[in-house]
Amino acid sequence: MTPLIGIIANPVSARDIRRVVANATSLQIADRANIVLRVLAALAACGIEQVLMMPDRGGIYGHVTRGIERSRNQGEHRFPSISFLDMPVTGTVEDTHCAARLLRKAGVAAIVVLGGDGTHRAVVSQCTTIPIAGISTGTNNAFPEHREPTVTGLATGLAVMGRVPHGTAFAPNKLLSVAVSEKNEIALVDAAFVTDGYAGARAVWRMHTLRELFVTFADPEVIGLAAIAGLIEPVSRRMSGGLMVRFAPTPDAAMILGAPIAPGLVEAVGIDDWRRMPAGVPFAPTLASGSVALDGERELSFTERDEVSIMLLDNAFLTVDIAATMKFSAVHGLMRQTHRQYEESLT
Amino acid sequence: MSSNPFPLAKAELLQAYRTMRTIREFEERLHVEFAKGDIPGFVHLYAGEEACATGIMMHLTDIDRIASTHRGHGHCIAKGVDVHSMMAEIYGKETGSCRGKGGSMHIADLSKGMMGANGILGAGAPLICGAGLAAKFRGDGGVGVTFFGDGASNQGTVLESMNLAAIWNLPVIFVVENNGYAESTSVDYATAVDSYVDRASGFGLPGVTVDGTDFFAVYEAAGEMIKRARQGGGPSLLECKMIRFFGHFEGDAQTYKAKGENELNRATRDCLKMFAQRITHTGVITAAEFAVIDREVASLIDDAVSTAKGAPLPTTRDLLTDVYVSY
Repeated sequence: MTPLIGIIANPVSARDIRRVVANATSLQIADRANIVLRVLAALAACGIEQVLMMPDRGGIYGHVTRGIERSRNQGEHRFPSISFLDMPVTGTVEDTHCAARLLRKAGVAAIVVLGGDGTHRAVVSQCTTIPIAGISTGTNNAFPEHREPTVTGLATGLAVMGRVPHGTAFAPNKLLSVAVSEKNEIALVDAAFVTDGYAGARAVWRMHTLRELFVTFADPEVIGLAAIAGLIEPVSRRMSGGLMVRFAPTPDAAMILGAPIAPGLVEAVGIDDWRRMPAGVPFAPTLASGSVALDGERELSFTERDEVSIMLLDNAFLTVDIAATMKFSAVHGLMRQTHRQYEESLT
Repeated sequence: MSSNPFPLAKAELLQAYRTMRTIREFEERLHVEFAKGDIPGFVHLYAGEEACATGIMMHLTDIDRIASTHRGHGHCIAKGVDVHSMMAEIYGKETGSCRGKGGSMHIADLSKGMMGANGILGAGAPLICGAGLAAKFRGDGGVGVTFFGDGASNQGTVLESMNLAAIWNLPVIFVVENNGYAESTSVDYATAVDSYVDRASGFGLPGVTVDGTDFFAVYEAAGEMIKRARQGGGPSLLECKMIRFFGHFEGDAQTYKAKGENELNRATRDCLKMFAQRITHTGVITAAEFAVIDREVASLIDDAVSTAKGAPLPTTRDLLTDVYVSY
């Protein structure tokens, strides 16, 4: 039997206030299901026979099963066998948590994740031992790279089938571990300390509330809060450590920066200073009370009575390195077929 | 005194709590009083959903119009309709907001911008387009907000209204109060496009989903949408995911709910408790200050019930008054 692949497609991502305060996308459910079908077809093309997927009540399940049935009715064999996890569906982030735990127990070789930074964070929070192949369908997609999902599916299939050396197929990633008294959370891209003492609509778009930002990588090509760090001092995903930035009101700031903090929203941000954030060293924010936004969404509130710390961890979990895998595939002709293989595929 | 990390001043936070507590007390009391058999017609209770109405209405003034639903008591109270006139209306008394002729499902007070609860599912959506068009012509910055449930969202009137609001760029907010059940039918069964944000996108409107039991989530999202509409940014849709503590109507056996569902919701998703706990944790308001409001509200509702019971019924002479409008 070929390796088992897991898929988590979150129907509740990309629904927040950034549709109103910015021009964030609203990727429709039918489009998300279509992405799943493209990934499935690519996995099948690599020889993957079985896929295990998170169920949902948001419509993806229905669209995917109908798509597979229609293909089967036409006599096609484009998809692997797909089954759905046996789990309660709540329509909340808990579904993603539960699915990640169950996929880990099922022993999948990789998890294909459809979502934004928040969904990927939810998966990693429950499972750091299985490689992730990310597909961006969320709002701020700094963590999952923008790429045609068919290619992500192909790379994932080639990687887990062992056709690409492990060191090429999989890449290590960093994360931020955040503790607020007894509560522990993680962030894959950024943790921002803001003066709002409540989660509210979750997104962070009012720059005057920002006080400090910690990022695992600083890429000037991403959007979201991490873009601020990326436009100051780029730090790659693969380098050890990250960057920390301290903010100031724009009139008093040492530097004023225009940064794309959400899709279509370029805001002026006052920067006080910044420095590299070494891995393995705990930091405490200077803000006494407020909230910490993890990967762009306010998650935990704290007061003067809480003990708050943040630490960056190198080599925390693996992702499928799509670019490296596809390059290896091209150089070594992994997708080439003999005439005999081609003729067999037609029968 | 702790610094205030919330988007509202202390007095406003207390007012938000008072509004939510008034809705809760009003509905819990109606639950008891309806069982006594003195209230005519049906009542549909809003208990559990208070954060939605309150979080939205905190941004509105009397020039802004709302169009409500059959489950309209919470919208009325949050919009500032007098609870004595509401209670009298529900009892069918002459002192009611509609002189006892409307009952629970038709409470209205135009002086407060409350265009009426409505017994017809989805009927508020076209009404609010009219209110939005009027505000746009007047240029007074007024907005319209219509509420409808997950069931009514499938009515043609709602979909046509979204289209109308989009093409006329009306200052209108469509609020889906998604409590999971259209009467007794699960939203999972009855709605083909499961995301209301997707549905809004189909008409070119931005849509946002929030936890409707979180006052601050509703308050922030609604604030941005209403500001946008006032400034000419056009219509939008807000989906509030919420729960109702009672059945569809009073007397509903609720056999479609899981065993213990209501109890679990009351224990874990009570918007009033969550609101108070979050604020008292910061020290901005003490539990004792909230308790004072609890007592004042209980007294207010007691008085509203006893006054309504003692008020006169309309007489046969009133049968044809307030029925037709003279132009």
